[in-house]
Amino acid sequence: MSLPLHLRSYREKSKDEYTRDFFNVPTQASLPSSSSDTPSVVKIRDKGYRNNELELQGMDINAVISVEGKEEVYAGRLSLLPPFLCFISLDRKSCRCTIPLYTIRRVERLNSRAGVFALSLATWHGMRIILQLTSLLPTAEHFAILLRDALKSQLAAMKQLKPFLPSLYSEYLLSSPLSTATGQQQTDHLLLGTELSEKPNPTAPEGEGDLRGPGGEGKGIYQRGLGEQFGFPGDARKMRERSKMKLWREYFMIHGRNLTLLRYPPFQRLLQVGLPSRLRGELWEVMSGSVYLRFANPETYGLLLSQNAGKSSQSTDEIEKDLNRSLPEYKAYQSEEGLARLRRVLVAYSFRNPELGYCQALNIVVAGLLIYMSEEQAFWLLEVLCDRILPGYYSPSMEGTLLDQRVFESLVHRCLPMIQEHFVSVDVQISVASLPWFLSLYINSMPLIFAFRIVDCVLAMGVKVLFQIGLAVLKINGEALLEITDDGMFINLMRTYFSTIGDSAHPDHPDPRVRAITNFQELLVVAFREFNVITDETITAERKRLRAIISDEIEKFSKRAAVRNLKNIGKFHKDQIGIIYDHYFSAICSPEAGPSSYTSNPLPGDQFDQPRIQVDAQGRVETRIDHRTFRVFLSQIATWAREETVTTNAFIQRTDRRVADHELIDRLFFAWDSQDQGTLSLQDVVMGLNRVMTAGLMESIEWFFELHDKDKDGFLTKDEVIQLSESLLFIFRNEPGDIYLAAVSKFILNAYEFGDATAPEGSVDEKVPINGDSETASGARERSDSSAGPHNLPYLNLATFRMVVLADELLENFFANDLTASFQLEQTEDEDYHQAHQRSEGLLGGLMNLVVTNENKNRLNRLADGFGAALGKHAEWRKPSLGKSSGTDPTLTPSSSSDLKARESLLTPAQQAGQIQRPTISPGSSRTRSSSAVSQTSIKTTDTTGTNTPDDKRSLADVEMRYREESQMVKAAQEAVMHRPNFAIDAIGDSDDEGGEDDEGVMDEVEAFLKAHGADDEGLKGEQKKVAEDLLKAEPMDAKKKTKETGDLVDL
Amino acid sequence: MSEEIPVKAVQVKLVLLGEAAVGKSSLVLRFCQGDFNENTSPTIGAAFLTQKCRLENRIVKFEIWDTAGQERFHSLAPMYYRNAQAAVVVYDVTKSASLEKAKAWVKELQRQANANIVIALVGNKVDLVSSSTASPAEVAKPKVAENEGGADAEENEDQEDDASPSPSPSAAEEASDDVRQVPTAEAEAYAKESGLLFFEASAKTGHNVGEIFTEIAKTIPFDTISPKPTTAQSGNRRSANTNENNNVNLGENQQAKKGGCC
Repeated sequence: MSLPLHLRSYREKSKDEYTRDFFNVPTQASLPSSSSDTPSVVKIRDKGYRNNELELQGMDINAVISVEGKEEVYAGRLSLLPPFLCFISLDRKSCRCTIPLYTIRRVERLNSRAGVFALSLATWHGMRIILQLTSLLPTAEHFAILLRDALKSQLAAMKQLKPFLPSLYSEYLLSSPLSTATGQQQTDHLLLGTELSEKPNPTAPEGEGDLRGPGGEGKGIYQRGLGEQFGFPGDARKMRERSKMKLWREYFMIHGRNLTLLRYPPFQRLLQVGLPSRLRGELWEVMSGSVYLRFANPETYGLLLSQNAGKSSQSTDEIEKDLNRSLPEYKAYQSEEGLARLRRVLVAYSFRNPELGYCQALNIVVAGLLIYMSEEQAFWLLEVLCDRILPGYYSPSMEGTLLDQRVFESLVHRCLPMIQEHFVSVDVQISVASLPWFLSLYINSMPLIFAFRIVDCVLAMGVKVLFQIGLAVLKINGEALLEITDDGMFINLMRTYFSTIGDSAHPDHPDPRVRAITNFQELLVVAFREFNVITDETITAERKRLRAIISDEIEKFSKRAAVRNLKNIGKFHKDQIGIIYDHYFSAICSPEAGPSSYTSNPLPGDQFDQPRIQVDAQGRVETRIDHRTFRVFLSQIATWAREETVTTNAFIQRTDRRVADHELIDRLFFAWDSQDQGTLSLQDVVMGLNRVMTAGLMESIEWFFELHDKDKDGFLTKDEVIQLSESLLFIFRNEPGDIYLAAVSKFILNAYEFGDATAPEGSVDEKVPINGDSETASGARERSDSSAGPHNLPYLNLATFRMVVLADELLENFFANDLTASFQLEQTEDEDYHQAHQRSEGLLGGLMNLVVTNENKNRLNRLADGFGAALGKHAEWRKPSLGKSSGTDPTLTPSSSSDLKARESLLTPAQQAGQIQRPTISPGSSRTRSSSAVSQTSIKTTDTTGTNTPDDKRSLADVEMRYREESQMVKAAQEAVMHRPNFAIDAIGDSDDEGGEDDEGVMDEVEAFLKAHGADDEGLKGEQKKVAEDLLKAEPMDAKKKTKETGDLVDL
Repeated sequence: MSEEIPVKAVQVKLVLLGEAAVGKSSLVLRFCQGDFNENTSPTIGAAFLTQKCRLENRIVKFEIWDTAGQERFHSLAPMYYRNAQAAVVVYDVTKSASLEKAKAWVKELQRQANANIVIALVGNKVDLVSSSTASPAEVAKPKVAENEGGADAEENEDQEDDASPSPSPSAAEEASDDVRQVPTAEAEAYAKESGLLFFEASAKTGHNVGEIFTEIAKTIPFDTISPKPTTAQSGNRRSANTNENNNVNLGENQQAKKGGCC
């Protein structure tokens, strides 16, 4: 039983994090700081991780970018996200780049006549990027200072650049001049001669020598995928590999390559016609940002493999089973070499991220990646996929998958309402088909050559592509979809469509150019043109809206499963088990359970040595609670295991609850730990509670006795008698009056008296109980006094203990009723935890969320207390846990044992949850929460005499604006879909079937996409452009002001 | 081919559940393609396959959802077993834990799935357990004896089994003490108690595989399944589809060969 704990620890990303994600910049945590000596191989999952040595400050600024040798100039936003410098043009699509600072060799401030603040960045390979900082001068100067500091911090990384570069194919490509590359084709074929016969396309024409590049030994040590050895999928000639390669080469010359690649409009076009096979792997890692991780963690992959060599786990077993089922149609995966690579990457990742381990579908994805990428490249891309691009898709509860399926359904509902309605009417879930699309990035759904083109786009543009393609598939098949009546037909239809995706979309059209358009091209056009309304923001907003629902569903599901899978539920009813489960779960999620609650897999040597998740005998993952969590859990169930303070003042009455701490609780913990693991499973807890809650008088006495009999010899020592008394006193600590104290004192006296009378004879090692009938009490006392260490000798057995207890009416009553009754199973408010905790987006909800935070609540409470004290109406008392005595208590507890229930009912189930402390006592559960919150709000606004009002007003306006924006966006999206222009078939250029490959052909296709995409290069025109051009010729202002050179890189 | 099929082709949605690597995909593959392939295609969420069966005077078309066995896909299972008329819950006779998981699935199905769902409990991999192969057939048969006339003895394997000496269940258990972890009697008793069909089968040899589906087809109360309004149309579409489809050819070959189900 593994609980979906992480769902509750989920928090929305901050704006800063979204920016980082947008630019594919890794988090600080995943970049090892320069001073760390050993690379950490297992992932640090803690979100609150901060690079505490020197936190480099980031900054955003308006800027205009231009590159030497390129006409276009773009205005946009420049972000310094150390150690990266990122730019995005204003239209958010024409131009963007992410440049690691370690690739920048020189920064100069330019001397321009226009008086603009301009910087010239020179990369290690000599590309010059001109940045005009168009903000106010002081801002620009501040930015420049921050940039300088950030650059300085990267000196060490700059040294690593040189050894890293040869791993990149683009460097190899650019280092070999075109002419020699073509000249090498003969040798190339000689070297590859042995493999030629195995290639899917053995009759490959000679012309592709340069695009495959010289692949022989000693010729370039760039990272390569299986494709170089086993052949890339598809016909290189048909895919115009050679022309594409040439175009990319030209692109690299001007716009930078690999780490310094700038995305200008041609990039988008080259991307959408499909990346050339040999460059694909590298471009994938560049576009997704995984290359930065590979750069920053050069040893990690190797270490993971060597440190975990020979280890096996549930994940490795599962991986082994799936190896043979991963793209078995591709040659490499019929060979040991290919399977070994696949195994290594999956296994390494399962150790890197043990929480995730291995999920079916990853085998497909990684098998796909490895065709184009080396193991290490694939490993880091896998990390980026799991962490950022497809978050939560492959986690143990697969919440990301479930969420995105729901998001997809909602988008279908929005964009294709007819299809959605039809699916509802025939009761077919779209997910039966779409689930694998998302989980395997279409790799398993359509022929590989097309699937990889989709992967290209996903890695370049993000997850929205998956949605856009999915919507386009449904839209294109719309008519047929309206005919389906069950999920079988749906699947078959989709299968047929995908299997013909390479066919002509218009086979009967008279115009050969139209006939040449394939289904796939049409799919892309529909996806990127008609569904370009689906943006990252759409996805983010939808995810946010639906996350709570999904999380609740997952929690309920795992609750059902956990309850069902208990082997023994004792005498409990199923509903009671459900309540125990809720408490168990909420205790784990409770902040009081300590910071380790969410990091279910502590790092080795971590201070939290109690594992929360263990693998049980059957290899299943199990969540267990440690000692600290158990205290929280027990405090929710046993009345004496918590401290409750009731405070009344002039305004409100509230109950504050804290977790109590006493040895007794520890004793219970260890007594219930059936397997001596130092942790408790849900089953342990259920059985433990079963014993104490169903016990009658004798049973209660017995378990209480056993609890204090540490060595389980059937006797309490004198010390243990004292400890037992202390336990009793602990339970009675808040009972008013002194009758309990008296009872316990009497108990001690009696226990010693009877104990002396009945204590076993003999020494420590003789444990045979002897009835002390023949002994006189005084004799026994003498002996026990005289013999060594009287305090740790077996002394009081169960029978005697029982006798002592029964001698006192109060204690008898306690064991007969109160102790059992002190364990109470009451509903938590957890049923719809996430929805209840979701910040509602509505106007009022937004306002309320702004006002009612925990912080505020505490302040409010203090404030109210203050007022109460001033008015002389402040009162505070400890709530008794048993309430046996007749009320000496003010107002609240009319207590006698029979009233126990009545008194408890004053507490609402919601309040029992312990982890959330609320000031008012209101009936009902989570629903009424809002009403109580409302009342707080009103109290607050009246009481605080308007100090916060301006704030509130502003935030109110904010909320309203956001709300309006959102609804406008939705409306716009719907309109865009409604009024779609017919898609421009004419724009698709002809592609020549006969072998003569020419760049024109490719560019035709490119142009078609350009037109379809509606993207005109939105460069700046006129004045600003002229300024930028001038700047290219401008002289550095003052070399010493901001120059930075690293001698190591000069000779690169 | 399709024109010879009587109009009454009844669709049955069937879902396969069970722990990872108990051989769900292999069973389906054996059933649908008469094949045992070690490298079965991957199951992401669930694989979808179809197979036709002739049963007395009607054709039953199984639409089979072969679900992923990995624990984390569990929460997706309801998507596949909703509206299913039949479920095959598979365990591995050489792994006792897999029976526990199977029981959990049965419980879940009985609570969450269609009220009338027909559940078959299948112990797979009996080929690994020596000399006990025949007993499960014996065990399974009495239950359905009254229907036996309709579809019988189609599979070669079945005939072999009939020919081989069939020891009593208890003897079989004793004989196969090493690898077998789930005694036939134990699983059968559980199946009986929970009202399940019960089989022990081998996807590798094909033993008892056809019988599973035949029995399921017989047990489903077809009369209570009201045909959807579009059934006729969809039936046509389906047969049109199936002509392109390889599965069906295999199925039809078998039909031609044996004139029985599967």
